[in-house]
Amino acid sequence: MKKRRFWLSCLTIVMLASLLSACSGGKDNSKAGSNTSAGSGNGAQEEKLDKVTFTYFNAVAGKDINTNETTIGKIFEEQTGVNFKIEHLVGDENTKVGTFIASNSYPDVLVPGGSIDKLLSSGSFIPLNDLIDQYGPNIKRVYEPYYNLMKAEDGNIYFLPMSAVVGEYISAPNIEQGAFWIQRRVLKEAGYPKIKTFDDYLNLIRDYVKKHPGEDLTGYIALTTQDQFFALTNPPMHLAGYPNDGGVIIDMESHEANDYADDEITKRYLQELNKLNAEGLFDKSSFVDNRDQYLAKIASGKVLGFFDYRWQVGQAMNNLREAAQQTGNDDLEYMALPIVFDENTKDQYLDPPSFVNNRGVGISVSAKDPVRIIKYFDNLLTDENQILSNWGIEGETYSVDENGRFYRTEEQIKQTNAESFRESFGFKYFEYNWPRYGNGSSLPDGNSVGAGRQPEVAQMSYSDSDKKLLEAYGIKSFSQLFAAPDERPWYPAWSIQIEQGSPAQIFTQKKGDLQRKYFPKLVLANPAEFDKIWDEYVKEFNKLGVKDYEQLMTDEVAKKVDLVQGK
Amino acid sequence: MDGGLKGFFHKLSKQRTLVFMSVPFLIWLIIFKYLPLWGWSIAFQDYKPAKGMFEQTWVGLKHFKFLFQDEHFVRVMRNTLAMSFINLVLGFVTAITLAILLNELRKVAFKRVVQTISYLPHFISWVVASSIISTALSADGGIINDVLMWLGIIKEPILWLGEGKYFWGILGVSEVWKNVGWNTIIYLAAMTSIDPSQYEAAEIDGAGRFQRIWNITLPGIKSVVVILLIMNIGNLLETGFEPQYLLGNGMNVDYSENLDIFVLKYGIQMGNFSLSIAAGMFKTVVSFILLFTANHIAKRLGEDRLF
Repeated sequence: MKKRRFWLSCLTIVMLASLLSACSGGKDNSKAGSNTSAGSGNGAQEEKLDKVTFTYFNAVAGKDINTNETTIGKIFEEQTGVNFKIEHLVGDENTKVGTFIASNSYPDVLVPGGSIDKLLSSGSFIPLNDLIDQYGPNIKRVYEPYYNLMKAEDGNIYFLPMSAVVGEYISAPNIEQGAFWIQRRVLKEAGYPKIKTFDDYLNLIRDYVKKHPGEDLTGYIALTTQDQFFALTNPPMHLAGYPNDGGVIIDMESHEANDYADDEITKRYLQELNKLNAEGLFDKSSFVDNRDQYLAKIASGKVLGFFDYRWQVGQAMNNLREAAQQTGNDDLEYMALPIVFDENTKDQYLDPPSFVNNRGVGISVSAKDPVRIIKYFDNLLTDENQILSNWGIEGETYSVDENGRFYRTEEQIKQTNAESFRESFGFKYFEYNWPRYGNGSSLPDGNSVGAGRQPEVAQMSYSDSDKKLLEAYGIKSFSQLFAAPDERPWYPAWSIQIEQGSPAQIFTQKKGDLQRKYFPKLVLANPAEFDKIWDEYVKEFNKLGVKDYEQLMTDEVAKKVDLVQGK
Repeated sequence: MDGGLKGFFHKLSKQRTLVFMSVPFLIWLIIFKYLPLWGWSIAFQDYKPAKGMFEQTWVGLKHFKFLFQDEHFVRVMRNTLAMSFINLVLGFVTAITLAILLNELRKVAFKRVVQTISYLPHFISWVVASSIISTALSADGGIINDVLMWLGIIKEPILWLGEGKYFWGILGVSEVWKNVGWNTIIYLAAMTSIDPSQYEAAEIDGAGRFQRIWNITLPGIKSVVVILLIMNIGNLLETGFEPQYLLGNGMNVDYSENLDIFVLKYGIQMGNFSLSIAAGMFKTVVSFILLFTANHIAKRLGEDRLF
């Protein structure tokens, strides 16, 4: 009996002990790697450091990979001994980031999208100022001109944006942002007319559909899913001759912000879509389709026109391009047009040179060894490594002519455009999302840092049918059809940070909800009822407190202009 | 009851081994079920994750007020309750019907096949399932529209997911398709416990098939039905979140947005954790009341009950 009781007590104690240990585990691992870099000086002849792997979260969908599994990443690992395990986003960004914050445990490096405000307000990033001063001569060189815009209110820098232009600014030869796209066969049949107004654009589509009955064509389509709803709400702003400032239009003179959601331009745009719908030219499913269905429709070549940003539809356009290369017929490919409402409005589709200061890459408070990470970042920002991550390896993915100009042969272009190659070589992971020379940067010898902006590459990558098209319009590159951007020191207004949970943020959420509800109604309504529904929408909209929001944006724009002008 | 307290301690010391053995589980219960309740205090603060518990600003009932005063709230509650109720009724009726039908089958092979097919969709995630559903309902080439047009019932394809009034129906049918097979399992199990001699006796007395179902099978599973009903009523506010989120869009938002989506939008996505907690508390309290009410009614009616 005694013996039995003894064993029972033992059992009890063991169970208690295991329970307690289970509750206290997993807290002390964070400091494990921090000693490796202690006392590491500067200079090239550093002692070889142990290899380490850091975690890296990128808030876009993609394939998870170790950087050292790519050709470029392998070279960086040899230089620094650092490998990054890249984790991509699955599902909703805000939810994922919310989980990081709630658990207070983060990957070492974070590249958030719109959720960056949330991470900043919960203190998830470490300040980088001292680290840069000590270990980041290259970071300093690239980013110092922008310090004003990068500093948080407390004077610290918490993340490195990816848009610091180095050297002479080179504008893009192709359209990388928003535009009204139209299928090339439509232009061809109409004899390559110069189209400027929205009416002309839509009439072109109408004519083509009329001439080709029974082909099951879709005149116009729109992307309206949760996260991409701006593809439906932004066009009025562009049609009125403004660049993408988000939900507001900023007056060039007074710098006053105006939310155009209830303005005449929005009404006019929706009314045109409403007419299209009544004529059976608008794809009703636009409002229920998910993004994959939308992309599939564009890739199918049945859609004549749509508004979107190039980076949203890249996948579908690349598919069409590949198909065109095989058949030699580019009828189903698209061309970007700078469409505006009125003949004498200057289009502003091309982004002004800008510094996006609310997106970037930061080191989290959970990071095991910030020093090595910042050194890795710094190492990325040498001219040589920027060439490596944008152009690749000389002789393999690019060549140099006798004048020192970089170019790509036809074969190299084909190879570097292939998605699978971009993944295995590492272009896909290193061209963007790291501290880098921003788009439009150039090297001291005049070569463009981004291969896509090198005129030689752009020219070489144009197919014969591209060239024919360009010739028909009398231009050398597709962006020449668009007006040069005006200077807007605040640009882009969408990068203005709005405080988490503030009335302004609740306003934007409610505005979004309201528009998601009313815009489909307006477009699909019987044209006779359009005005009634519009009035209803405006009434609801005015209840949301737009004045406060506009005031806030006006103030913030003024602040940003002062910062940029160094006041 | 002589010397209540003394008797209690006497008994306690006699059973001390048992008491010791239950201590770890008591600790587990406290740590994982009661300590988190402390987190409820977040609902009364403007919670900022970066700060410690004592540096937070207390705001009283602000978040509850925001929740209840928002004009969407009534609509969101209506949707939540309506969809729950539809799921509850449809779920019970279809599952019990299918279980009875399966129970009547004599060919074991056929029964197995039907059962397997009917519970397979349960293992598909909602992400995939909603994709299947929206493809089937699509206006260009979706099978539902094609069949209805072929039968001549409709002339033009209907944008099923674009009409709010269809949403509850679509959701109800989807839930049934996905879960009916799974839900029958417990009823089938209950039916196997019915004594076969009852059926034989009834047959000798001349009872037909429907009479046997009505008088033997249904009363035989009554206790299981009542207990499941009570539990499900307690969960009435938990409509689930995925199907509504994945199938919902701007056009049917008036009917598809439920409490969980509302909280996701205005709570978690905006970093407003306090609001999420406030909504969670509200749900718990309502569920608690519903559960006790249902249980009490069952007790009054002299039925089996949960506790």
